Amino acid sequence: MQALSKDNVTLRPTLPASRQAQCDNCRCSFPFYFIALFSVLFLCTSAFGQLDNLKWKKADLSYEKPDHFRKRNYSFQADDAGEFIKKSFVNAYWFFISDVDGDNCPFSPSCSSFFMDGTEETNIFQATLIFSDRLTRDANPIKKNRYPHGISGHYYDPATNYTLNQGRIKYLPPEFIVEDE
Amino acid sequence: MKKLLVILFLIPLASLPQSTSFDFHSPKNIKKFADYLFCEGDYIRAVEQYTTVKNIFHSDTINLKIMLSYSNLNLHKQVFEFYLNEIFFEFEEDAQKLYLKNSFLVDSSVFYANLSNNLFPFDMDQAVANYFLKLRSVYFIETRSKEIKKEELLKPFDILQRREVEPFIDLSVNPDYKSPALAGILSAVIPGSGKMYVGEWGDGITALLLTSLFAFLAYDNFKADHSTRAWIFTGLGAFFYAGNIYGSVASAQIFNARIDFEFSNGLNLFLEQKNYFLPDYDFCN
Repeated sequence: MQALSKDNVTLRPTLPASRQAQCDNCRCSFPFYFIALFSVLFLCTSAFGQLDNLKWKKADLSYEKPDHFRKRNYSFQADDAGEFIKKSFVNAYWFFISDVDGDNCPFSPSCSSFFMDGTEETNIFQATLIFSDRLTRDANPIKKNRYPHGISGHYYDPATNYTLNQGRIKYLPPEFIVEDE
Repeated sequence: MKKLLVILFLIPLASLPQSTSFDFHSPKNIKKFADYLFCEGDYIRAVEQYTTVKNIFHSDTINLKIMLSYSNLNLHKQVFEFYLNEIFFEFEEDAQKLYLKNSFLVDSSVFYANLSNNLFPFDMDQAVANYFLKLRSVYFIETRSKEIKKEELLKPFDILQRREVEPFIDLSVNPDYKSPALAGILSAVIPGSGKMYVGEWGDGITALLLTSLFAFLAYDNFKADHSTRAWIFTGLGAFFYAGNIYGSVASAQIFNARIDFEFSNGLNLFLEQKNYFLPDYDFCN
């Protein structure tokens, strides 16, 4: 035993005498405690990592552009022949052109829906004029700060503001965000 | 020995707060707490606390604070009920003003009709009557009524307030409206000019370009004997030309709606800033 302790002394000659005495008295060495603690921590974290699969599982990503436009009514239900003809044209436009082309109209409601709203609010003749005006405004590239925005990011521009009925106009400032488009 | 001394010192120190009887729920402390809540703007809880001590203190200040709290919470019905159920002394005039303010906020037209039919539950002295006249002026400004002359509308206000109210009277009598008919006529003569008159330059130029383009294409195709194409372009040109006239009229109407909106918003903001001409109570300093 003396020879061993001597060896230890020679291996760690720089330690102060008090520390050396402590080391000589302890049963387990510092590396033992370190390895034991590391093992426990390693086991715990590994076990926790196995339970943490929810965090790292494959995400359900969708690359579809969110469609905030209101649901379109594709039905052909109509009260009269004129209504049926109008609905046929609009449905054909929606089905063959608009739906394929995507959500490209900067306004909400879109120009075709705006025309439909116009016919409901007024008559076919007035709605055509409203629609023509909308197309002109759509062609204007400088639309910023003129219309309020919907939550979809489109310019909110309802047909009720264009019925030439002053009492029905609901003015909203451009900084306003419309939640119910 | 040192440890023992420390323990002997700490034991009575720790037991002292336990033995002292401190009544957190004494009326005085409840009032203090209510005052704190009132000054912090927590009016709902302030009213709750004030209500518990209201009948102990019989203070006009507490009653007025309750009314102010209800008023700030826009609980107009509670303001009316509270005024009718309580007796005010020092703050009777202020309570009446608050009553008037809240009846004005509920419905300004009903408020005005109430005075005409003498339906308010109190007789107004000079100061309250003057306050009523101020609110009446605001009512006439808001409704753009031309029944009363400008001088009479300004009469209840002091010199500083007159300077602030006068622009609103001018705007209510002479709003910066645009004529829808003129906008339509202008667009009929020069496409897009009606929109430019309304201030929508981009739309006006677009309308002018679109109509001119289709008119030129129609003319050019007629000239070249391409009658089918010429008629198609004529139709498109007419479509945009008619739409431009209609759109100019609609734009002028929307412009006027914007003027009304901004006027109404500005007036409301001004009234809120001025606290509807009520005095600034210094309860929290």
